Amino acid sequence: MKKYIQLFLLLFFATTVVSVAQSDNISPARKQAIDSLALEKVKDLSKYISIIGSKETQFSEANRVMDRAEELFAPDAEMGVSSLSRREIAYYKVRRYFERLMALNYDRVNITWYDIHYISDLERQPDGKYVGVVTVYQRFEGTSLESGLNYRDTTKKDITIYVEKKQTQIAGRTIEFWDVMLGDIRVTETSA
Amino acid sequence: MRKLILLVLVTILSLELAPGQGLYSPGQPKDDGRFAASTKQVNQFFRRFNAEESVEGDKRYYEGDPLYRDRELRGKFISILFDNETSSVDSETKKQFLNEILSENYPQYIHFHREDWFAEVSAIFTYKGKREDVTLFLKIQPEGLGYEWVIDKVVFEPFKDIFKKPEGDSKGFLHPLSHELGFMNLRKAFQDSDTPEAYTPKEYSPDYLTLFLYEMKKGSIKFETINDVKFHFFQINNWYFELNQFNRPGFNTGWLIGNLVRLKPGDKESILRYIYDQK
Repeated sequence: MKKYIQLFLLLFFATTVVSVAQSDNISPARKQAIDSLALEKVKDLSKYISIIGSKETQFSEANRVMDRAEELFAPDAEMGVSSLSRREIAYYKVRRYFERLMALNYDRVNITWYDIHYISDLERQPDGKYVGVVTVYQRFEGTSLESGLNYRDTTKKDITIYVEKKQTQIAGRTIEFWDVMLGDIRVTETSA
Repeated sequence: MRKLILLVLVTILSLELAPGQGLYSPGQPKDDGRFAASTKQVNQFFRRFNAEESVEGDKRYYEGDPLYRDRELRGKFISILFDNETSSVDSETKKQFLNEILSENYPQYIHFHREDWFAEVSAIFTYKGKREDVTLFLKIQPEGLGYEWVIDKVVFEPFKDIFKKPEGDSKGFLHPLSHELGFMNLRKAFQDSDTPEAYTPKEYSPDYLTLFLYEMKKGSIKFETINDVKFHFFQINNWYFELNQFNRPGFNTGWLIGNLVRLKPGDKESILRYIYDQK
């Protein structure tokens, strides 16, 4: 076992050294790893949105989930929403967007996500952070029992991701890792 | 300690080796191919145009990959990058364009970081309390450790109305011996005339962007919202194309070439004048 631990340690530090030696460039393999991390965050967001929108979610639980969802975002992130009938972008702070979603006047709400996504390249911005965009598609179905009306739409969500190299201390050693935060989201109603 | 090492190691390896994962789980809607076919981002337009990603869009091709910039793949991609429903680009023009960019000896690609492409943004601002259309032109430039989009030009009708240089007999002027009088007749230009721009050189052109920023700093102009975005490309030799977003049912959607023009000498300048002047 001792031999394995030494091997693991060697591999571990080699990974760290490679990370440092590569400086701030993102290799294709690293990009793939970051994409996975970004998708995990988007998955978390989509899960939270489904919970917040659901009419079966208690008010206190929805608020707790909103807090968690907000933690995924960089400060000042906004949602920019447009529809087929109104092309102008309406801007909402993330929290406000969630609150509006929670307050929608339907008896039943079902939010699901299509099995497709697209992840852009990562581009470096002037401050050295990387930025990318993940595109996903959401289906919304709202039912009003009293009027019997159903509303359904499909929206394209272009989600900004910020990728930054950070450091943490583990067992007295400085380890570098790539962190992903969500940023502004452009929400476009589609004709689908 | 062992557990900690193992945990960290597994975390790192899992991050590095994890394949791309979707949001899909059983019971969720399946794309019937329309979203997959759609050119979902401008980024994807670049990648498809250059054949730098897989057909499904889930794998980025880099230099050294067998299909990176593959000619056959490019041909297939580019043929779906045109708006085939509303634009008036004829098939012969498309064919000529394809032949040139897919040339075996001199294939041409588009580049995100290079010049000769820019964005046109239709926005709404309030000016002196009234909603006004504003067209902003943005270009990408290197800055600090990376790149940024910057506002390069602005078209704003109220400003154009302010600066209308008179021509012919109605144009005021400072006569050629004004210097002998110590230019005392400048009073006529600045006080008695409501068209002081009449006293400027032929090549004078108002800097609307500076004016726009000045009015914004004074608080007279306030941003409201964005209406539309499109892109103009001059990166392919002797060709211009416009990239528009098509949000409609079907498979021919997303960011597509909505206009394609073969350029003769002098055409580029004419098209630029047309774009910037919004005539």
